[in-house]
Amino acid sequence: MFKLLIVSCATISLLTTSIRADDWPHWRGPTRNGHSAEMAWLDQWPTDGPRVAWKAKVGLGFSTFVVAKGRVLTTGHADDKDTVFCFDADSGKVLWKHPYPAELGNKYFEGGTTGTPTIDDERVYQLSRWGDVFCLDATTGRVIWSKNLQKEIGVRIPDWGFSGAPLVHGNLLILNVGDAGMALDKTSGKIVWQSQNKEAGYSTPLPMGHGNETLVLLGSRQSYVAVDVLTGKEAWRHRWLTQYGVNAADPVVQGALVFICTGYGKGGAMLKTSAGQPQELWKTKVFRTQLNPAVLVDGHLYGVDGDTTSPASLKCLEFATGAEKWEHPNVGSGALITAGGRLIVLSGTGELMVAPASPAGFKPTARAQVLKGKCWTSPVLANGRIYCRSVPGEVVCLDVRKP
Amino acid sequence: MKLTRRHFLRAAAVAGLATPFTTRGADAGRKFRTALIGAGWWGKNILKEALASGRCQISALCDVDAMGLEIAAEQVSDLSGKQPKTYKDFRELLDKDRPEIVIIATPDHWHALQTIAVLKAGAHVFVEKPTGHTVNESRAMVKVARDAGRVVQVGLHRRVGPHHASAMKFLQSGAVGEIGMVRVFAHSAGGPEKPAPNSEPPDGMDWDFWCGPAPKRPFNSKLHPGGWRNFLDYANGQIGDWGVHWLDQVLWWNGGEYPRRVFSTAGRAIRGPAVLNAREQTTDAPDHQVAVFEFPKFTCVWENRQFASNDAEKHRIGAYFYGTKGILHIGWRDGWTFYPANKKEKPLHEDPQLQEPDGHNLKLLWANFLAAIEIRKPAAARLELAHRSSVLPMLAMISWRTGRSLQWNGAREEIIGDAEASKLLSRPYRAPWIYPAA
Repeated sequence: MFKLLIVSCATISLLTTSIRADDWPHWRGPTRNGHSAEMAWLDQWPTDGPRVAWKAKVGLGFSTFVVAKGRVLTTGHADDKDTVFCFDADSGKVLWKHPYPAELGNKYFEGGTTGTPTIDDERVYQLSRWGDVFCLDATTGRVIWSKNLQKEIGVRIPDWGFSGAPLVHGNLLILNVGDAGMALDKTSGKIVWQSQNKEAGYSTPLPMGHGNETLVLLGSRQSYVAVDVLTGKEAWRHRWLTQYGVNAADPVVQGALVFICTGYGKGGAMLKTSAGQPQELWKTKVFRTQLNPAVLVDGHLYGVDGDTTSPASLKCLEFATGAEKWEHPNVGSGALITAGGRLIVLSGTGELMVAPASPAGFKPTARAQVLKGKCWTSPVLANGRIYCRSVPGEVVCLDVRKP
Repeated sequence: MKLTRRHFLRAAAVAGLATPFTTRGADAGRKFRTALIGAGWWGKNILKEALASGRCQISALCDVDAMGLEIAAEQVSDLSGKQPKTYKDFRELLDKDRPEIVIIATPDHWHALQTIAVLKAGAHVFVEKPTGHTVNESRAMVKVARDAGRVVQVGLHRRVGPHHASAMKFLQSGAVGEIGMVRVFAHSAGGPEKPAPNSEPPDGMDWDFWCGPAPKRPFNSKLHPGGWRNFLDYANGQIGDWGVHWLDQVLWWNGGEYPRRVFSTAGRAIRGPAVLNAREQTTDAPDHQVAVFEFPKFTCVWENRQFASNDAEKHRIGAYFYGTKGILHIGWRDGWTFYPANKKEKPLHEDPQLQEPDGHNLKLLWANFLAAIEIRKPAAARLELAHRSSVLPMLAMISWRTGRSLQWNGAREEIIGDAEASKLLSRPYRAPWIYPAA
C-alpha cells in the first residue's frame, strides 16, 4: 500500500510541475526551500528515538543527502580522497562509490566535503571544493563526463572551496563558480556562459521566477546577485559584505521578496525585487544564518541564529516585518527543514527534534540523540525516513514511517 | 635586570605627566579617541573590548583590505551607534584622526613601523604580540617607547589571565620546589601540504601595501585572510605565535632574565618542501620545531608539531615546570594542574576563566591598559617585558637558519662572536620603507 503511494506520487511529479513526490533529489528538497510535502510520518517517538533503519560511515564532511528512486547519496572525505556514496535507501547497502583525489582543506575547520550532489533523473552531478565537476550515471556511478574548472580555465577558488550544489535547469548545469555563476551543458560539460573570474560565495544557485523569465540567485563574495538562467546576464546585484566573503546561506524567496541573511554578526535583509534593483524593506541584526538557510512556514522564518563559534539559537521571525517571535537557545550550528507544518531540527550536537512550526514558541513533540559529536548538516526527510550525518561522517537513517 | 625595568617605568611615568589626558585619570566620563590598524578577526576582538570598557569611542579604522575595513566599520556602528572614519594608510589615519589610543593588529612584519609611528604621533599603543619580526625592530620599538613616554601594552593576555596568575602564585610559593627544567609546547593537527594557485588579490585589497616592508610574494589565498603566520616573510611560524605566549610565562616566572645560549632545529617533514613560483605556492614555516634555551639556573625546551595530534599526550599546549616537589602544567582551556612528586598527594587543579569563543582574557588586559594610562600603574604586558618574550623565538629562528647554537649577551642584546648570525638580527626592508634604528 505504502509503496504504491510512493510510486503514484513519483508519477505525478514527472507529469506536473507541482512536485509532490516524497523524494528529495537536490539540496533543500523538491521545492528548493527546505520543505517536504510529506504529511504522514511519525512526529512522536519512543524515549530511545525512532527506529534506526541503517547506519553508515562516509568520511569527513558537511554534505547532506539527496534521495531519488530508492537511492540515497552523500559525500565524505578520507585518505586524501572525496567519495560520492550511493546507498540503497531500504537496506543502506552501498550500491556504488565514486572516489576522486581531493585535499582535506582544513582552514579553520575540520575540512572535508562541503557541497551536496544533485540528482537529475538518471544522472548525478557533483562539484568538488577544488573545481572538479562530475556527471555520473545514477545506477552505476560510472563517469559520463568530468572536468576540473580550475585546471581547465583557471577559475578562482574561494577560501573554503566551492560548496554550492549544482542546479539543473533544462539542459543547463548552473554552478556557483565565479563572480555571478557559470553554466555548463549538462550532457557534455561544455561551458555555456560564465561570469567574471572573481571569488564565488558559498550558496547553492536558487531559481526564481521573474515575469516569464527565470533568474538564478547566487551568493557571491561581496553581494547577492540575480542572473538570467539562460544567458548569465545580471538582472540585479545587492552589495552584501560578510566577513571573509562567506555569503553562504541561500536566500529565502516568496514571490518577488528575497530574504538574504548571513553570519559573523551581519544579519539579514528583506529585498523587494519586483522593480528591478532591490529595495531593502527591513533589516535585522538578531537573525544571522551563517551556514544553513532558514525555512519559511506560514509567514514566519525559522532558522539558526549565530556562528559555529557561538552557542547559536533557533529563532522565529515574522517574514513581513522581521520581528523576532521567539528564541530557543543553545541549539548550536545545526540545521532544519520542514514538513507538514512541523520543523525537523538537527542540533549542532546531534539531537534531532520535531516541533510544530509556530510563532507561539518551540515545543518539541519528539526528540532523540541520534548522533554524537558535531553536526552542521541539514537533516533530510524522504519517503518516511530521516537522514542525518555528523561532521566525522557517521550517517544514520531513521524510520519514521507510520505503521 | 629588575632595577633596569623599574628605572624604565619611572622614566615613563614622569614623561606621562606631561601629556594632556593622562592627567585626567579621575574623569571617568571621558572617552578616549581610539583607532584600530588591522581590522581582521583578532583586531576586532580587541576593538570589542575597547568598546565594552565604556571608556573608548572608536574614531577610526585602518586596513589595506577595503572589504574587511567596511565590515569592521559596520560592526562598530552596530555596537556603538557611531560610524568610524576609515583609512587605507595608517599614516593618514594618524595625521587626520589624532587618536589617543591605537590598537595595532596587523601581521608581525608591520608591528615595528606602525608602533613607532603611533608613538611619534603621541598616542598610547595596544599592539599584538610578537613585538616585531626581527630582533632589532623590537629593540627600536622599546627605544622609541621609552622616549615617547606613552603606554605600550602588548597583547599577551596570559599575563592577566586568572588561572595564569594563580599558577604563577603557586610557583612562586615554592610549592613546586626547585625547578630545573621547563617544557613549553603547542601541538595541533595537520598533514601534507599541496600548493595553491596564486591569484589576483581580492577586489579592493592593496596587496603591495599589505606586504609593506617585507618581501612581496604573489598573492595567494593561503596568505590572506589569516594564513600569513605560516609564511616566514611575515611571521615566525608557530614558535613566533604560540611560542611567545608560553615563553612569556617562563620569563614572568624567572623575572625576565634572558637565556645565555639558544639552539633550534626544525623542518617540514610532513608538509613537504616549500614551493614558491609564479603559478603557485605553499607555506614555508616549519611543521615542527624544537628550541633549547639555556638559562643560568634551568633549561627551557620549546616544541611545536602540526601533525599527529591525538590524546596520547595529556596536554597539547602549555608549559610544564619540572620541580623537586612535582610537575606544574599551565595550560589553556585545561587550566592548570599540579602533579605532586609524592604519590600519596592528589593532583591540584584550577579551571581557567576565559572569554569565549576564542578563549582569551582581553577584557582584563584592556582594563589593565586603561589603568596604566589613567593611574600610571605599570601595564602587565608592557613592551619591555613582551619584547624579551618576543625575542626568544626570533633567536631560535636565527639558530635554525644558521644551523648552530647562539651565545646571547642579554645585557647588550647581542649575539656573541657570530657575525653571520648577528646580521639576521635585522633584515633588509623593501623600499620605500626604512628599517627602524635601534
